Amino acid sequence: MVNKLVTDTAEMLEEKTASRKAVVHSTAYPEQAIGSPFVKNPKMSMRNVDVFYGEKQAIFNVNVDIGQNEVIAMIGPSGCGKSTFLRSINRMNDTVDSCRVKGELTLDGEDIYSAKMDPVALRARVGMVFQKPNPFPKSIYDNVSYGPRLHGLASRRAELDEIVEMSLHRAGLWEEVKDRLDQPGTGLSGGQQQRLCIARAIAISPEVILMDEPCSALDPIATAKIEELIAELSENYTIAIVTHSMQQAARVSHRTAYFHLGHLVEVNDTEKVFTAPEHELTEAYITGRFG
Amino acid sequence: MTESKQSHTAIIQRSLARRYRAEKRFRAYGLMAITFGLLCVALLFTDIISKGYKAFLQTSIQLNITYDADVLGISDLNNKQQVALADFQGLVKKSLQARFPDVTGRKEKRDLVSLVSSGAGYDLRDRLIANPQLLGNTETLWLSADDDIDTYYKSMGDENGAFTGRTSEMRQGWIETLKQDGDIKLGLNRVFFTHGDSREPEQAGIWGAAMGSLFTLIITLSLSFPIGVAAAVYLEEFAPRNRWTDLIEVNINNLAAVPSIIFGLLGLAIFINFFHVPRSVPLVGGLVLTLMTLPTIIISSRASIKAVPPSIREAAIGVGASPMQVVLHHVLPLAMPGMLTGAIIGMAQALGETAPLLMIGMVAFIVDIPGGFTEPATVLPVQIFLWADSPERAFVEKTSAAIMVLLAFLIMMNTLAVVLRKRLERRW
Amino acid sequence: MDKLNLDQHISRQFNEDLEEIKTSMLEMGGLVEMQVGDAIRALEDADSGLAEKVIEVESRIDEMEMDIDETCTTLIARRQPAASDLRLVTAVSKAIRDLERIGDEAQKIAKMAIHLAEEGVAPRGYTEVRHIGNCVRKMLNDSLDAFSRFDAEAAIATMKDDRQVDMDYKSALREMITYMMEDPRSISRSMNILWALRSLERIGDHAKNICEHVVYLVQGRDIRHRKLDGDS
Repeated sequence: MVNKLVTDTAEMLEEKTASRKAVVHSTAYPEQAIGSPFVKNPKMSMRNVDVFYGEKQAIFNVNVDIGQNEVIAMIGPSGCGKSTFLRSINRMNDTVDSCRVKGELTLDGEDIYSAKMDPVALRARVGMVFQKPNPFPKSIYDNVSYGPRLHGLASRRAELDEIVEMSLHRAGLWEEVKDRLDQPGTGLSGGQQQRLCIARAIAISPEVILMDEPCSALDPIATAKIEELIAELSENYTIAIVTHSMQQAARVSHRTAYFHLGHLVEVNDTEKVFTAPEHELTEAYITGRFG
Repeated sequence: MTESKQSHTAIIQRSLARRYRAEKRFRAYGLMAITFGLLCVALLFTDIISKGYKAFLQTSIQLNITYDADVLGISDLNNKQQVALADFQGLVKKSLQARFPDVTGRKEKRDLVSLVSSGAGYDLRDRLIANPQLLGNTETLWLSADDDIDTYYKSMGDENGAFTGRTSEMRQGWIETLKQDGDIKLGLNRVFFTHGDSREPEQAGIWGAAMGSLFTLIITLSLSFPIGVAAAVYLEEFAPRNRWTDLIEVNINNLAAVPSIIFGLLGLAIFINFFHVPRSVPLVGGLVLTLMTLPTIIISSRASIKAVPPSIREAAIGVGASPMQVVLHHVLPLAMPGMLTGAIIGMAQALGETAPLLMIGMVAFIVDIPGGFTEPATVLPVQIFLWADSPERAFVEKTSAAIMVLLAFLIMMNTLAVVLRKRLERRW
Repeated sequence: MDKLNLDQHISRQFNEDLEEIKTSMLEMGGLVEMQVGDAIRALEDADSGLAEKVIEVESRIDEMEMDIDETCTTLIARRQPAASDLRLVTAVSKAIRDLERIGDEAQKIAKMAIHLAEEGVAPRGYTEVRHIGNCVRKMLNDSLDAFSRFDAEAAIATMKDDRQVDMDYKSALREMITYMMEDPRSISRSMNILWALRSLERIGDHAKNICEHVVYLVQGRDIRHRKLDGDS
């Protein structure tokens, strides 16, 4: 028994050592994202994704999986296509005329861009939180209840009340706003507004939540609250977050994907990316060398 | 180091003084421009008001009228023809002759009768029809004075002396007599607010034109606002960006700058000659003004749709709203104040428009007050134009008064715009 | 050969800060090397004056350790280094701890040297001390060299030397025990030499640790408590 354990450990070590490929020292983009872009039983998987804006290609052959209940962070310099990629995941790019998405994107094995997939239904399953807090100029209650009402998730007022309360609870906002649900959502502070937007997104019980730089307009304390919230939400939801703050990616995510000018360069466990990235471009970006 | 620093400070100090002077000059220019504008407005208003306020007053003369069946030649009041032919003016003549028995001679007698408005007979007829028991009885009445008398009487207190143009010394004497007896007075001019146009200034009113304007604007608003908003929403939210939509956009922008008389010609060609809509009616006027205001409304509506933050749209799409729900739930409510303002500005423009209406026969002399969209009518600015063109001196004050009414109309509409904006506006 | 490109940050100050901790660490390493050399020489030559000097200099090494440690902490707080920068800062802050320990061991050897000098020259055991001392000095030198050049291969090669030192130490131990059994009067003196040998063996271990830090710094993998590649 003990012997077996010892050999197992030895094997494991051997395997680990063997799997450590030499660090890549070319500034060329890898054919495939290096590291571990694929997971077992992915919630979403993207294969050979290209995104074009008119003639211009914004995303080049991206292959990556998002695991169940995982927080995946996407980092990279401005204009690297991480937001574009995030928006392809729930077809927000459909609203941009010139935008075309090629490749295979699946959610639980269903093709997102197939004719059978309705974009409205998709967005009910893949919610989104934006860079700037954007509550509707309506009451807090209406903000949260808007989605459920649209999709007819509650037939009676009491059910709707319940959904609103639960969503605000999950977003950690209930205690702060329970006495003023009828007041405008725009009257809240920036951090509260962003949590209201998160409550609005989770009110329709999505399976995946996409966050596009959710804290870039917030102060550190509000940011900390959102990050705390992300950690709690990851128990029930799968989260993909785009962020400019590498520290934030390091704090909240399980895996980190590094994009460079439309190429997915490296995907790895977050601690690996921030201590020993495999690709030189990743290394250069997270250590703050050139851009 | 310190030396160069000091010299820097000195340079900055000097340039600062220069900059402040330039700033002061700039402010002075602005102030001058505003003062000039205000002066012009004040001049315009004082001119219009000083000329026009008298039109709201009317001189009337008190007479004892006897509804003499013989003079009228009426035996049966229910006989419409008899009533229509009856000589009501004769009653006035009789009454005046009784008041001034010493007047003889045909010419003098004619002068005497023309103290009172030639429309007085119609007033008497209306009274008699309303109260048949008056037939054969006598009553004391205030009757409108003739416009020459009105002008003379109103100008009696003037520093430059009274305006005697068409008032002979003899008539002046009669007026003096009436004045001493307290039988002539200046009262509120009800006719102005209740009557349509007339060749006789004392019988001319603004109500017909006002109603014409109202009907025309109702047509214009109810057509151009929905069409304009629908077009703007489609172009902003749904239309694909291609050469066709670009072309449409350019055309809309150009249409806003097309001289309005062109729209009149278009209306004449399409609505009257092709669709055979009757001429001179608010319906066709409204249609033409709709064509004219549409570009304005589309442009302002598009601007206010564009002003809706894209983040709100994204938020709605993000929680799974369909494109139409995004527009109906979020874009339209937020753009509504701007759209309404644009619509009201367009309406104000339409209200003040004369040129296109010239082409479709709304510059007609119309006495009757229009009661609907298909009755001949004229509109306020056309009425002003017509009165300004009339030779009688009394029309000068009427013109100014009509301008005041038009301005009041405009101010009301703009107030409405401000109120609606305030009420509908939301912060985000 | 791995490159670390320490001098290519957008922030020049950051370049300088990183360069500074590396240089000060190597400076400290140089001083420690000198200490080890002096201690061994003091022991061999029974030069208690030199030994006194080693003991004196030790306090400077402690100061340097504290200085560099503080610089590292400040750097972490202010720059939040990541990836290779983070590895450099951790490697430096671990390496200075090892260097400080080496300094301590050198001080111990110097104390032994003073004891031995008081007791008079003993002909036995010095060969071992000289041999192991040379090995250890070379190891220390090589490890610092590998650090300064960020050379992981050289570091791994140096680590293999530690096994030789351990074996030499074991055989020296046996030899010393034989001496002590042969001549019980020499026990106390032999014990002193034994302590010195033990210190040298420890210095070898610390040099090996420094090599491990170099490998971690360059390749981002932790090879502590693990068999080396190619080990049979």
